[in-house]
Amino acid sequence: MSLQPVVFPGRLHRAGRRVRDWGPAAAVLVGGIVAWQGLVTALDIQRFLLPKPTEILSALRENWSFLRGAGLYTFWEAVGGFVIGGAVAIATALSLARWRPLGRALLPYAIAANAVPIIAFAPIFNNWFGLINPVSKMAIAAVLVFFPVMINMLRGLTSVHPSSIELMSSYAAGEAATFRRVRIPNSLPFLFSGLKVASVLAMIGAVVSQYFGGLRSTSLGLFIKDRAALALYAEAWAAIVVASTLGVGFYLAITLVERSVLRWHPSMRGVRAE
Amino acid sequence: MRRFTWRLLAVVAVVAMVGAACGEEGTAPGGGELDSVTVQLKWVTQAQFAGYYAALDQGYYEDEGLDVTILPGGPDITPAQVVAGGQAEFGLDWLPSVLAQRDAGVDLVDIAQVFTRPGITEIAWKDTGINSFDDMAGKRVGVWCCGNQFPIFAALTKEGIDPNDPSEVQIVDQPFDMNLFLNREVDAASAMTYNELAQVLETENPDTGQLYQLSDLNVIKLSEVGTGTLEDLVFVGGDWIADEANQDIARRFLKATFQGWVYCRDNFEGCLDIVLANGPILGEGHMRWQLNEINALIWPNTLGIGVMDPEQFQITADISLDYGVIANPASEDAYRTDLAAAAVQELEAEGVDVNGAGYQKENVEVTPGGE
Repeated sequence: MSLQPVVFPGRLHRAGRRVRDWGPAAAVLVGGIVAWQGLVTALDIQRFLLPKPTEILSALRENWSFLRGAGLYTFWEAVGGFVIGGAVAIATALSLARWRPLGRALLPYAIAANAVPIIAFAPIFNNWFGLINPVSKMAIAAVLVFFPVMINMLRGLTSVHPSSIELMSSYAAGEAATFRRVRIPNSLPFLFSGLKVASVLAMIGAVVSQYFGGLRSTSLGLFIKDRAALALYAEAWAAIVVASTLGVGFYLAITLVERSVLRWHPSMRGVRAE
Repeated sequence: MRRFTWRLLAVVAVVAMVGAACGEEGTAPGGGELDSVTVQLKWVTQAQFAGYYAALDQGYYEDEGLDVTILPGGPDITPAQVVAGGQAEFGLDWLPSVLAQRDAGVDLVDIAQVFTRPGITEIAWKDTGINSFDDMAGKRVGVWCCGNQFPIFAALTKEGIDPNDPSEVQIVDQPFDMNLFLNREVDAASAMTYNELAQVLETENPDTGQLYQLSDLNVIKLSEVGTGTLEDLVFVGGDWIADEANQDIARRFLKATFQGWVYCRDNFEGCLDIVLANGPILGEGHMRWQLNEINALIWPNTLGIGVMDPEQFQITADISLDYGVIANPASEDAYRTDLAAAAVQELEAEGVDVNGAGYQKENVEVTPGGE
């Protein structure tokens, strides 16, 4: 009983900090939606140019069973592509960091490949893997995911403080031990920056690759394209809201994993550069 | 320094003169100025739009005092959006799409119903045993997106199959080639008589080393199923056509366009050459097949080319409403016949055959790869 007054202010304090952290962003969101609704009504903007948030909400409700199914399927395609692309990227970064000449030989091509507009591959991947096969969508997401993860991870693996390497060699540690104890831990914050960028790219890749065809019941992208062409913009926006929500959710999930994995890292311990 | 200034002035003067010459309005043979208008095609350059290219090539537009720009379409172009956005005065699309746009609040008006017979079919390999839409329950059925799926959806619904329920039928959005069908990734696919059907027939059957034959396919014509809806038409923005000067432009545009279609009916080879000169993606053999099939969707026409038959309009409007293309009944304002009828009358007065009562289809052989 006597502890309660001690705990309570602590909770309050934490809740207060949450409000301080998230309050401004939430206020912008609510203010933005209210302003959108108000402006569209006040300026009498045509329904087919920009629908009101309330219209989008009712389109969301009317198409909910489709949007939920297609949204989850699309999300699954994005996650599949993320896992494939991320795994290949990590393996590539490790090999390039371990065998430097290989890195010097291959990196320019990796950079050049990144400059190719990857969405342009969608029709080709559809032909390779089959239009209805989710692998064709995952492949696009994977290719989009690959570069940011690989390049960030590689940077983390190689930008190690020289004194750490010297210390390891003074212990007569081998390459494997140096990787395990210095390079890989050092690369993790970089890796997670890459993964966070990649999570959003994976969702974009999955949605946009659907524009090129597939099963209608599983495609958010097709729904957006189809409804926009028929001037049913509220429905198109509803699907965009679903895709964005899933994308943000994916990003936040990676952030949570990052927090738990990098608990030891200064950036995560609330140590602030003040 | 002074010399430099003079030189600069001279360059500016020359550039200005060239610019003025380029920017000068074209003039009609009668001496009047040409009205510049743009037409947005529904699809890429091909014989489907032969009449427009012929009217341009034969000078029919110019004779009517028009300077016409033809914008080819493509998978990511919605003609209704181009017209509603003011980037073109005239657009080509199918009637259900125009009705759907109107239902969504986009004010468009059909001023000429050029095609009076639907060319859309759903095809299946004979060995799949799919002979009708009834047989498509539980199958993978290919459709096109963005408004072109509705005749198929209507046909499925008519057989009690809900196209929006994946447990009843798997609807696949097919790209604009027939690979999906040729690879048998779908059990049935949408095909226009004048385009995709020929693309299949132009492909070699790996089992026989010969081209695929019509006898390998079940071709289910939507017109025979009863859910065929009206296809290529000319539409304009409702605001634009409210202006009397624009009504005059529209009438002249239709007159010249109809004359272009008459040319393509009566001068098959000449019209084909015009289409080929405009650089279609697919080859001569394919365009020859296409022009022949297209002509058959237009001719003969008892009312005169382009004049909407109210009964046909009502059939498409009813199908569109019954099968959920539109939420509210289509109003009669969706089309007007006065401009097309006036254009037809003028052509008749000039002795042009606007009905094609004696029209006979050509005999066109499929060529490998449509070459």
